[in-house]
Amino acid sequence: MNQSAQLPPQLSTFAPDVDWMYLFLFWVSVASFVAIVGVMVYFVFRYRRRPGVDAVPTGHGNTALEIAWTFLPLILLVFLFHEGFRVYVQESVAPQNTVDIHVRGMQWNWEFTHSNGVQEFNQAKIPVHTPVRMIMSSSDVLHSFYVPDFRIKRDVVPGMYSTLWFEATELSTPEHPVRVFCAEYCGAARGGTNGAEPNTNHSTMMADLHIIPQADYATFLREGGGPPAECTGAADDVSVCWGQHIYEQNGCRACHGVDGATQAPGPNWKGLFGHDVALEGGASVTADEAYIRQSILEPQAQIVHGFGNINMPPYHLRDQEIDAVIAYMRSLDQ
Amino acid sequence: MTVEAEAAIHADPHHIPADADYLTYERGWKSWLTTVDHKRIGVMYLISILLAFFAGGVFALILRTELLTPGRTIMEADTYNEMFTLHGAIMVFLFIIPSIPAAIGNFVLPIMLGAKDVAFPKLNLASLYIYWVGAIFTLVAITQGHIDTGWTFYTPYSTRADNSAIWMTIGVFILGFSSILTGLNFIATVHTMRGPGMHWRRLPLFIWGTYATAVIQVLATPVLAITLALLAMEKIVGVGVFDPALGGDPVLFQHFFWFYSHPAVYIMILPGMAIVNEVIATFSRRKIFGYMFIAMSSVALALLGFLVWGHHMFVSGQSEYATMVFSALTFLVAIPSGVKIFNWLATLYQGSISLESPMLYSLAFIALFTIGGLTGLFLGTLSTDIHLHDTYFVVAHFHYVMVGGTVFGFLSGLHYWWPKITGRLYDERWARVAFSLVFIGFNVTFLSQFVLGSRGMPRRYYSYLDQFQPLHMTSSGGAYVLGVGFLVMAVMFAKSLKSGEKAGRNPWGSAGYEWQTSPRPHPHNFAEQPVFTRGPYDYHLASERELFTGTDAEWDTHVAKKAEA
Repeated sequence: MNQSAQLPPQLSTFAPDVDWMYLFLFWVSVASFVAIVGVMVYFVFRYRRRPGVDAVPTGHGNTALEIAWTFLPLILLVFLFHEGFRVYVQESVAPQNTVDIHVRGMQWNWEFTHSNGVQEFNQAKIPVHTPVRMIMSSSDVLHSFYVPDFRIKRDVVPGMYSTLWFEATELSTPEHPVRVFCAEYCGAARGGTNGAEPNTNHSTMMADLHIIPQADYATFLREGGGPPAECTGAADDVSVCWGQHIYEQNGCRACHGVDGATQAPGPNWKGLFGHDVALEGGASVTADEAYIRQSILEPQAQIVHGFGNINMPPYHLRDQEIDAVIAYMRSLDQ
Repeated sequence: MTVEAEAAIHADPHHIPADADYLTYERGWKSWLTTVDHKRIGVMYLISILLAFFAGGVFALILRTELLTPGRTIMEADTYNEMFTLHGAIMVFLFIIPSIPAAIGNFVLPIMLGAKDVAFPKLNLASLYIYWVGAIFTLVAITQGHIDTGWTFYTPYSTRADNSAIWMTIGVFILGFSSILTGLNFIATVHTMRGPGMHWRRLPLFIWGTYATAVIQVLATPVLAITLALLAMEKIVGVGVFDPALGGDPVLFQHFFWFYSHPAVYIMILPGMAIVNEVIATFSRRKIFGYMFIAMSSVALALLGFLVWGHHMFVSGQSEYATMVFSALTFLVAIPSGVKIFNWLATLYQGSISLESPMLYSLAFIALFTIGGLTGLFLGTLSTDIHLHDTYFVVAHFHYVMVGGTVFGFLSGLHYWWPKITGRLYDERWARVAFSLVFIGFNVTFLSQFVLGSRGMPRRYYSYLDQFQPLHMTSSGGAYVLGVGFLVMAVMFAKSLKSGEKAGRNPWGSAGYEWQTSPRPHPHNFAEQPVFTRGPYDYHLASERELFTGTDAEWDTHVAKKAEA
């Protein structure tokens, strides 16, 4: 089925089947609409009120006609049901030997965990021409994992796993990744955030899928998880650069400033590391490595005074990643 | 006044002169607040729902203004979320659900039956008071609680922060209670208060539609109370029902919600269809084709409405088998809907059709409801629904059904019965200008949203990708035209109230019974109990007097002229 201007690009194996059905329905609808409204307009014109011409009394109707237009549409409806269900079954039953990726939805980020334990935030590498299964759950409210280019959607529900699968048919470029949207309303941060900023509310809870060659994904699964390729130079610089990368990719910036000024919604990172901070409940603690690590993995354990109503979700970073974030945090004060 | 007449008044304290009319027979706000006259209660409902419609419409225009640009246009994301919650909740619970049954139905139904009032007049007034209490309760709950959950208030988002969702559910339940009472009242009235000769096969189709609606109201609304009880138990006692943190299931809430709210969709659309029957018959001068099939299709829609709630949840994580069954049942809804459309077209055939504003709205109903119904096929078909679910395609679809259907039906009825309610005519030219603006504005607003949805624009989005901006701007432009159309209509009706020409008893020349009372009906509807000897659409059996469109004085002149000739 050719690409239609009404629909997004066809980038999964499901897309042609779904689009065929969409366009079939579209033309059936156009034909039905033209027929119904055409007949209506014709009758309104043909039987317009004229002096001396009375309406012909309806009489007792026509049972054969009634039965015909009650049951004939059933043929079309049964066909629609069958075709729609056929594709739905394919979408529901994943093949054997899929590449599995765990997805966690949280206000307003997507966390992807690959089988090698490497996590990506609001972006994920996906091998092309490979059945990929998303095993999804939510750490807060309902979300819905929606990829228009793949024609797939599934709610992401706290307290249970939902799955979907797809097979991407084309490589993507870094400039044009395949976009994931959240399709189940999940709210917004209260007060004063710019709603156009990435990952601050339901409408900007997006992620990018980078469709890469199978061989590249295999390499990534074997060796992946280090700093991104653009971080070069001395070991310290790589660490800081990686930390900044994590800060930007994981949506930390939505709440934490790094300019030392704004303290909302979360504490600013500049001037934080190594200083004493007052906690909710009156105690105080030094913001050292141990405290930063705990605040990432268990944000609710020791909350800085004044931020008790902020519900930061835990971020399951690996130790090297946490070290990089701390290196970045320290670099802010130099 | 003669001595006999005066004596009669003293003998019967409830005697009302034959030339009294319901609006002026008693005066003062107290007489309105304590009235048990179904017509006055209908008028008070009408004013209330029009206020709600105005408020909901203003919120809609604010939303469309915000959506002119991606990112911030006039407000922040959290304010936007509160606004669409207000728009949805007000339009659904305060406007559409009570619009036709409680306002127009209250006014017309007993007159059509030849009854003096509904079966339980005091209960009828009580349901209006309950509506007011529920409306205030709901609005206070939403605005004070800053509820930003959308009108569906899905858990766990709605129950995470505080108890405001419970307050809102209580408000909605109070409103539902008002619906239940109105529904009960109508069922009892139709069963027990039909005038002599008004047997079931003669019932105007408006009554059949309203009756089917009443049955749904009585059966579906209690589910809302159960949901409320469970929500309250969870929040207050900590019994895990919907909250996964307590071992509950958030998808269960969606089942409860749609088990009420899907039948509520039919509470909204059936009365609109019911009005179209009356208007098409009157302006074609012809009995509705397939009377019994139309009546039974309303009952079929009412029953099917209870069996398809799961089609809102195809991607929610409900079982694949449930999804299959709900998809199949959903397609069945197309059958009775199609039967109605085909019978309406057959009624036009060989009719004598005139195109006054009520007829324009009813014909527009047929065209727009057809679009609403056909796009429903995209959403009932599983493969396409997975792509289109929770996108603008759904938004456009249900606005075609709820606005193109119910609101156009409501406007058709409002224009149609306006002379009976107010005793005055309105300026038909301005009515047509308003119709054109509303029709064009509506289609521009929502046709563009179908394309937005099929291209992958999810709903309830404060911000969006740049590529969607042209279509969003088109949609907003249409919304402004729609707003101007309603403004013109409001001025047109206001002028009619102030200085409109006095209407005759039957300005449209209808064979319907409600047109045989005086221009503004008697407080007891008919000064004398009518006896029905023909059906409400039997134009060939109606007398010239019954179909005469002028005032009573004009009739006398007409008779005198005829005698001369």
